[in-house]
Amino acid sequence: MNEWVFLLLLLAPVVSSIPIALAYKSKEWTEKLPYLSVLGIFVSVLMSLHIFFALEEGPYPYDWIPELGINFVFMVDYLSSYMGVITAVIAFFIAIYGLDYMKGDYRPSWYWFFFNLFTASMLLVVYSDNLLLLFIGWEGLGAASWGLIGHWFRDDDEIAYVGKTGRKVGPLELSWPPSFGGWRAISTIRFGDVPMFFAIAAIWVFAGNLNISEIEWGTLFATIGAAGTVILLLCLLMGLFTKSAQVPFSEWLMTAMTGPTTVSALLHSATMVAAGAFVFIKITWYIEPWTLHGVPGLESVYILVLFVGLISGLYGALAGSGMHERKVLLAATTMSSIGLMFAAAAASFWVGHFAVLVAFWYMAVHAFAKASLFLVSGHLIHATHSRFLCGGLEFGKKMKPAFIVTIIATTFLVGMPPLTAYWVKSGMDEVMEHLIHDLGIVPLVLLILTSLVYSGLLAKFLSLNFIKGEKPHHEHVEGGGLMKLGYVMMVSVLFLLAYLIFTSEETAEFIHAGMAEVSIIVGILILLAYVVGLVKPRIAALSRLGTFFSDRMYLPFVNDYILPKTGFFVSHIVNEYGNRGIDGFFNTKVMPGLFGGISKGIRRIQVGGLTAYVKIVLGLVMIFLIIASIGGMGL
Amino acid sequence: MSMLYFLLLPLIVVCIAPLLTPKKATYLSSLAFIVPFFSILYSLLFKSEPFVIPLMTFSPPIGEIYLNFDFISHAFGLTICLVSAMVALFALPYMKHRFEEMERNVESEFRKYIFLYDLYAASMLWLVYSGNLILLYVFLEITLITAFLLIYSYGYGNRRWVGLLYLIWCAVAGVLTLAGFIIIAFDNNTLALDALKNVGMLAWAFIFVGMLIELPVLGPHVWLPWAHAEAPTPVSALLSPLTVGLAGYVLLRIYLVDPIFIDTYRIPILAYAIFSSIYAGFSVFKQTDFKRLLAYSTVSQMGYMLVALCLGPFGLIGLVIQYMSHAFGKSILFSSAGGIIAVHHGLRDINKMGGLHDSIPTISNAAVFGFLNLGGVLTVGMLGEFFILRGVIDTFGVTTRSLPIILAVIFMFILSVWYGFYTIRKVFYGKPKDTKRLEISRYFYVPLFIIGILSVLLLFPPLSTALIQGLNAMPGLGLGGVMP
Repeated sequence: MNEWVFLLLLLAPVVSSIPIALAYKSKEWTEKLPYLSVLGIFVSVLMSLHIFFALEEGPYPYDWIPELGINFVFMVDYLSSYMGVITAVIAFFIAIYGLDYMKGDYRPSWYWFFFNLFTASMLLVVYSDNLLLLFIGWEGLGAASWGLIGHWFRDDDEIAYVGKTGRKVGPLELSWPPSFGGWRAISTIRFGDVPMFFAIAAIWVFAGNLNISEIEWGTLFATIGAAGTVILLLCLLMGLFTKSAQVPFSEWLMTAMTGPTTVSALLHSATMVAAGAFVFIKITWYIEPWTLHGVPGLESVYILVLFVGLISGLYGALAGSGMHERKVLLAATTMSSIGLMFAAAAASFWVGHFAVLVAFWYMAVHAFAKASLFLVSGHLIHATHSRFLCGGLEFGKKMKPAFIVTIIATTFLVGMPPLTAYWVKSGMDEVMEHLIHDLGIVPLVLLILTSLVYSGLLAKFLSLNFIKGEKPHHEHVEGGGLMKLGYVMMVSVLFLLAYLIFTSEETAEFIHAGMAEVSIIVGILILLAYVVGLVKPRIAALSRLGTFFSDRMYLPFVNDYILPKTGFFVSHIVNEYGNRGIDGFFNTKVMPGLFGGISKGIRRIQVGGLTAYVKIVLGLVMIFLIIASIGGMGL
Repeated sequence: MSMLYFLLLPLIVVCIAPLLTPKKATYLSSLAFIVPFFSILYSLLFKSEPFVIPLMTFSPPIGEIYLNFDFISHAFGLTICLVSAMVALFALPYMKHRFEEMERNVESEFRKYIFLYDLYAASMLWLVYSGNLILLYVFLEITLITAFLLIYSYGYGNRRWVGLLYLIWCAVAGVLTLAGFIIIAFDNNTLALDALKNVGMLAWAFIFVGMLIELPVLGPHVWLPWAHAEAPTPVSALLSPLTVGLAGYVLLRIYLVDPIFIDTYRIPILAYAIFSSIYAGFSVFKQTDFKRLLAYSTVSQMGYMLVALCLGPFGLIGLVIQYMSHAFGKSILFSSAGGIIAVHHGLRDINKMGGLHDSIPTISNAAVFGFLNLGGVLTVGMLGEFFILRGVIDTFGVTTRSLPIILAVIFMFILSVWYGFYTIRKVFYGKPKDTKRLEISRYFYVPLFIIGILSVLLLFPPLSTALIQGLNAMPGLGLGGVMP
């Protein structure tokens, strides 16, 4: 019976969006059929709730290619049962919002098909225990994100761009159209996916098993030795880091803001970017690295993840601090948050199980808060026709629901006592404090710095959109009922999460951590940073630094200048010299010339002129005589 | 025996189709491949045992001539049937358009064309079921001659020169292969595949070089962009997906008899194959002619097949699936290039494209399927990559010493998606020159979607289960093989 649960969960979104994909020509049908697609996601919500409440924990295996250990294995455990509900619910709220937001779009069929594929792929990643199955979902995420980021493929609407059009830094124009955003996303992701696929194949060979929960990780690492462990895990991490846009693979996430806002909301909260961190959490959960301290190589990998996470966290927050584009600013904060999730989960190597739990709960809180913020900015973009931060108090009063939702989402997310994220963040403070014994104070300092900048940054977002921003040139504040419904529902879940944190057994430690001295001090500092951000969202004295930050510290040069220039240089050499040379040799110049020359020479003998023959005969006689005389002298 | 009749069907249609009107002939030809397609599918799903159908016996050194129905042949046969049937449908409006463009009589030219087309496709189908090397060689030569005639008569540009170029290159390849076969014949006193015991180094060398020209890899690859770009598009859509890959099939069959050559020169061959694939992958970025671009991508993909050949039992499964995945992808892509040519009046220059999705969304979406297949994303190609990667690990392990090979193979796979989506963006997305949606014939896209959807279905049960289980049970492949 349970196979129907999983089938419905995964197929309902995809199947329900096929009609709209087929009806792409009819305007009438494409206006009605989105409701069917949303219904499909709703079925997934029901199924995920069913799994959460009614299914027992444990694996649910179904045959695929059993001889080779490739099977459909779904895992219902603490992580997946929560994450499944989170994913489905967020996708459902965003889909409702999208009914309004995407009205009148020029290709609804494309949008809804890929949106639902996106959701289904993430659900597959969440529930699958078999690594190959997980990877299918993983690739589904990649393909769907490509489709959605480049949704407005015509590149004709400035509102879908990222960066100021025409702004040049050196030889590079810092402005990116949607079709480029899509290509950037899939090319970056693919750069990590193939190594990850390799790592999965290696696990398959050496562990003889593809199911995450059944693999004997300790034995596996022992079999392949220190070098093998490091290579395997680094390959795996390439996939996770690129998907989660960690330094230095973060550029695609910024240019991904060319997609519709609903896509950004889904991409940043519960799918795609979160998928990388989620898979890391999931794998760490089963590797239990805190029990494997004797394995050579493992510690260095976890140190790497810890610092990549922390540095990405700080980089994202700093980069965001100078930004003026609503969505790109939020994208930078997402990168920062995901970095913290990686860091917390990696700290489990020294701290134990608790660190993984912190990372996971931070992911949950972040998902709902960030999705709300994105949905609000989508509404703001509609209302002001601008993707840049703008809107004063007067405007804020007209957009009351959005205003209130932003206040709730930002304050709940930054870790201000005693709101939801504070308890999780306190757990994170505690974890990093633990690391002082092993790795010194640097991780804790990085975490606190990140938290402070992050807090000020979100306060700035609130301030410049609703309180102190410039008056928008264009105001269109009527309507948008479903959009408001979407983000109000989204943000209200944050209260539910607070309730869960206080009541659930697993999170009791968070409350304990929240009472600790360090946490309270950090919490107050965060509150101060928030107030500063709110009161002084723009600091003129730092504007040059801000520009440097908002240009992502010139990281685009690596992606947009150095790498493509190198690649095209190689292509140029290969094509202009290699292919031309070989072609010229075999097909057009040398070989045909040689054949032509020989053939011409032979034919010249046959012209029939007597003098020619006499000359040839005389020449041959001469040659014979010379040879004979040389030979004769030798004798 | 029923399989024999299904295989005879295309050959019978070769004789009947030219008698009919273009539309009927097209339907009949398509049907002649659809029926065997389903029969192969049936035997994949419900008959797990391989079997043979003896045809006749010659005196040594030719030996028994028979048809060989095992899972390798089924995998190749399935692909050939599907692609041939779908491209036949696509060709109906396309070739009509081409004949009009050439100012010829459509009815009478179509008769000649459909005869050659059917013979071409049917001989490929027979080639993969041939159980005797001499029979295999005969069909190899028929494919060569029919393809040559098609290019020579209906190609673009400098078609006569290109046709001859193709003929010469492949004739050289054919002669070398034949020389290899003859040496095998005298060594073993037979050419029947199941009776062969060993393949000497000299015979291997002849066949290997011949098939490298046919495949082709870097060096001899220069004939391919000419032939594939200037051939009439339906012929490109068979030539590139099906024909060149058959060189991989021949090498696979010889390898299963005696792997000595590959075992001896594994590292240099592998290095050459990877280099060739990456080289061709980089060449793709600089092409301005859409069909030429696809031709370079074929060279890159054929490098995968040669790589897979060097990677042991699991690599061989990868080779078979790679053939299927490339065939599906490339037939879709060549057909979409043909669609653009037909709809946009001979448009082939990529620099003049951009934003085409607006005028031909269906063709554009089909092309996405095509590139997903090449990159091995969400299609059966994913399994192919998975087995090839496993082959790398089986053969070389995961150590610091094997790292260069691992990284090279990984980069080779990455490159396909890079050039694929780069091309999609350049051709179909960006600012459209014309936002009016064109009404186009259904023949231009429905067959492509059928191929595309099948390539996705092949990733999932029950098709992938049957296919992989069957291949895995073959001696020499997967778990049935001995680790090198």
